[in-house]
Parts: sequence; structure tokens; C-alpha cells
Amino acid sequence: MIKLERASLRYGAVLGLSPTSFELPEGGGIVGLLGPNGAGKSTLLQLLSGLLPPSGGSVEVFGQAPYRNPAVLAQIGLVPEGDRLPVGLKGRGWLRMMGRLSGLDGAPLEAAMAKALDTVGMAERADLPFPRMSMGKRQRMRLAQALMHAPKLLILDEPFNGLDPEARLTLMALLRELADGGTRVLVSSHILSEVAQLTDRILLLFRGRLLAEGGISEIRQLLDRHPVELRLSGEARALARWAVEQPELVALALEESAAVLSIRNPRDFLPRLQKEAAKGGLPLTGLDPLDLNLEAVFQYLTKDHA
Amino acid sequence: MSAVTPFQTARALAAGYAPRVLQPRGWVLAALVLAPVGLVLAISAVAAMQGHSLSPGVTLTVFHTILAKATLPIMALIAASAGIREDLEQRTLPLLLTRPAAVWAMPLGKGLPWFAWGAIWLTAASLGLQILGGDPGLLMGRIGALVGAWWGELAFVALFGLVFKRGTLWAALWLFGWENLVAVFPPLLQRLTFTHYIESLAGSRGHSVSATELLAQAQVSTDPWLALAILFLAGLGLWLACGWKLHSTPVGLAGVEAEG
Repeated sequence: MIKLERASLRYGAVLGLSPTSFELPEGGGIVGLLGPNGAGKSTLLQLLSGLLPPSGGSVEVFGQAPYRNPAVLAQIGLVPEGDRLPVGLKGRGWLRMMGRLSGLDGAPLEAAMAKALDTVGMAERADLPFPRMSMGKRQRMRLAQALMHAPKLLILDEPFNGLDPEARLTLMALLRELADGGTRVLVSSHILSEVAQLTDRILLLFRGRLLAEGGISEIRQLLDRHPVELRLSGEARALARWAVEQPELVALALEESAAVLSIRNPRDFLPRLQKEAAKGGLPLTGLDPLDLNLEAVFQYLTKDHA
Repeated sequence: MSAVTPFQTARALAAGYAPRVLQPRGWVLAALVLAPVGLVLAISAVAAMQGHSLSPGVTLTVFHTILAKATLPIMALIAASAGIREDLEQRTLPLLLTRPAAVWAMPLGKGLPWFAWGAIWLTAASLGLQILGGDPGLLMGRIGALVGAWWGELAFVALFGLVFKRGTLWAALWLFGWENLVAVFPPLLQRLTFTHYIESLAGSRGHSVSATELLAQAQVSTDPWLALAILFLAGLGLWLACGWKLHSTPVGLAGVEAEG
């Protein structure tokens, strides 16, 4: 279905995507494209959805280059990042236009539009102008336009940004349903837990490079090898005495009323810390993770891979 | 599902964006055309009530000085910025470009509702000039001149908007600078202005060239039917050039080009 062979993309002097190769076979299921902001996720999605041609190498989707290729574009649905919709139009009229631009007309168009609106739960509210819809509803309309022509490949770029928790869960359920129905769904995100809720198949991108490809457990193991810094507030010396007995400890620094720990496998360490504090065995008054962000983890992984 | 033909693409966009002309920008266009004619009609009515009449030359002045030289370019600048350029600026273009449609027909499709809307009001304004005492024999020429030039100027500004980053500014400089030099241009350059074809269709500006315009050149004329055909073909060519530019330019989600 998707095949990249040393595909790269430059924005002038800036390298958006280093030569990257991978393959995704035909069939349904969800693939998560994970990486911090600026990792090259959107660039990769733009290559796959035919918006941009590769600067080097080759990109094939359904066996053909997707750039300005109607035969490929007819099988792709794209939900771009951001809350962007044309000004001055109403949902249903816009969807009708997008359907016509996909070659639908007459009764099949109306049926496809009704089905797409029903799928995203917007059948009753599609006649509103876009500014009168909530962000979640606008996101559903964007999804509806991508579903109208029943694409075999659905590409979503950071679809959960700005959505409230309820809208997020609804969208996740919808994507799972589509994937179960045979649609290949490719979702980009910079939040690991978000992708982990959706799929166990991940492509890990960082600074324009494909770092890893695999299941969520393999990626988690990679992430667990990254030492995490935690500041434990309370009686520093007592906390330090307990910490040095823990196998995950990598480094320790004492401050006036806190101990700064560098630990591996935080998912093993933190429950034990919590249990000990709950028993009253630790004079702990506060816990601050200092670098538990994806950027730090990715930087670690890059060094690790180098 | 098969590829969408250029005709289907243009029709889909024209129908989809047609409601836009009934919004404030559309009514501004209508007001731009009707206000000068309406104002002169009102003055004419007041003058008639007081037993006076306006000079017959006022029709020519309103047509050549206001509608052709000021209103048309302003309309084109306003309407073209709601065309395909708008999708580029608002980053909604990727939604269109990922459809299996004819990319090169998209600028025309998005421009058609604006052209049709402007043409309606320009025709209405030409009819209004008849009430002021315009020559009935020149009515069709006036309508053809305004509608033909509107078609061409709208496409012209749309193309500048796609080719240049500050395309609207450059187009404004052309329409208000170059076009106004027609009186001093030699015959060849006169033919490179919209004004030349407007005057060939709707009557001469010769009367307005005064003795103070020392550099004024002899005015050349083009057969009216040929002038109309040239305006139509020039507009069509400009729309196709817009389409070619859009088709040949990779436009990403950020609205910037990649080095393809």
C-alpha cells in the first residue's frame, strides 16, 4: 500500500525529511506516526497524500507516485492539521463540493454525504456555518470530507489537537471502527499516550529521521531506557537514603529540601515510591518530573542510536 | 472512482463557492458599481426637478472615468482576493489539492461566481447609464466592454496573486498605473491595455484628451467584435495560466513550496 525508498524532502535549505524507507502492506488497521513537533511527521504525510513531491528517492502509494495523481488521490482521505476550513461556507454545501471534486454526483453524492455525516455524528448540525460549530464539530466535518469517497487510506495529521477529552475519545472510537472496517488509518501525534490508545503499530520520527518502527511495547522499552529526572521534595537526606537502595537509580543530587534523582524505568520506580510514601515510610512532600517530555526522550534515543 | 474532468472541477467549485457572493464582499462589489450611477441619476433627477439638465457628456464621464478606470480595477482587486489566493493564504488549499480533480481548473472554478455576480451589476449599471442619456446604439458595446474587461481583469489579478507574494499590490500598480498611461502610449502599447479594448467597444476617449496632454498619441482602434474576442481570450488565457501555475507549484500544508 505504502512504499518509501530513500524518500526525502527539502524546504529550500531546510531538510524536512531525511532519506527514509519503509513499507506498509495492504489492509486495515491503524499506524501511529509519533514524534515531537518538527520531527517531520507532517512532511511525511504530505508526501503520502500527494501534496508535495519528494526531493529525492521515491514514494509509492497503491503502487503509484501520489503527487498530482488522481488515480491515487481517489483512494486517499486527508484530514490536515489545524482548525482550517473555508470561510463563508456551510458544512453541507462544502461537503457537497468536496464530494463533487472526488467524482461523486447526484444520488450517489447525496448518499455518500449522508453516510459520512452519520458516521461522524454531524447529520443534524451540518447546515451550520463553520464559525458556529465547536472545534470538535469542525474536526468531525473535516473527517467527513475525508471519508466521503470511501478512501482505502485515511491520513490524519495531529487530529486530537485542541479537542476536549470527550471529543478525543469519540474520535478514537471512530478511527478504530474505520480501521476494523478495512480502512488503513495513519495518525500522526506528538503524544505517545494518545497513539498508544489507538494502535500498537508505530513509526517513530525525530528531526526528519525514522528512528524506529515497531510495536508500542518495543517503543516503550526504548523509552524506558531513558533516565528521567525527578525532584523529590521533603527531608532530603531521608529521601536520598531510600533512593540509593533502588535499582533504577542512576544519579543523585541533594538540594536544601529536595533530592534530585535520575532514574531508569520510571514505570517500575514510581509505583514503588507511591506505595512507600503512602505507608508513611518516606518524608515526601512533593514530586516534580523535570524532563518527562517527549523531546527529552527523543534526544536521548537519538544519542543512543548514534 | 475516476478522475474528475476540468469541467466537473470548475462546476463543483463554482457551485460550492457561489453562496460567497451573497455575503458582504459581494454586496460591496454591487455597491461599487451601482453607487456612482445611482448618485448621478439622483443628481440628474434633482436637476430635472429644478428645470435643469445634466450635460450629455456626463454618461461618457461616468463610464470612462469612473466605471472603467476606477470601479473595474477595484472590483477585480476585491474579488480576486476571495478567489484561489484566499485558499492559499488560509491554508485550505490542501483540502482541494488532495482531491482527484483537475487542479488547473480550480482558479477558474473559484473565480466564476465572482465573475457572474460582477457581470450582473455591471450590466445593470450600463442600463442605468441609458437613463442618463447614453447613446442606445452603444449600449451593447458598453455592456460588452465592462463585462469583457471584468472577465480579463479578474483573471489578471488572480494570476498576479498566484505568481507573486504581493501579487495584489503589483496588480493594483498595473491597473492604476499602466492603464492610465494609455493616452501617451504608441499604438502597440495601447493594445496592451484593457482600456484600449474598452474604448474600442464602448466609444472613444478622444474627447477627453486635452491640449495640456502634450504627449498624447493618436488613438488607435480595434474592431469591436475583435476587441470583445480579445478580452474573452485574454481572460481565458489568464485563467489557464493561473491553473498552470497552481498545477506546477507544490503547495504543502504550511502554504509554502517545497523544493520538489
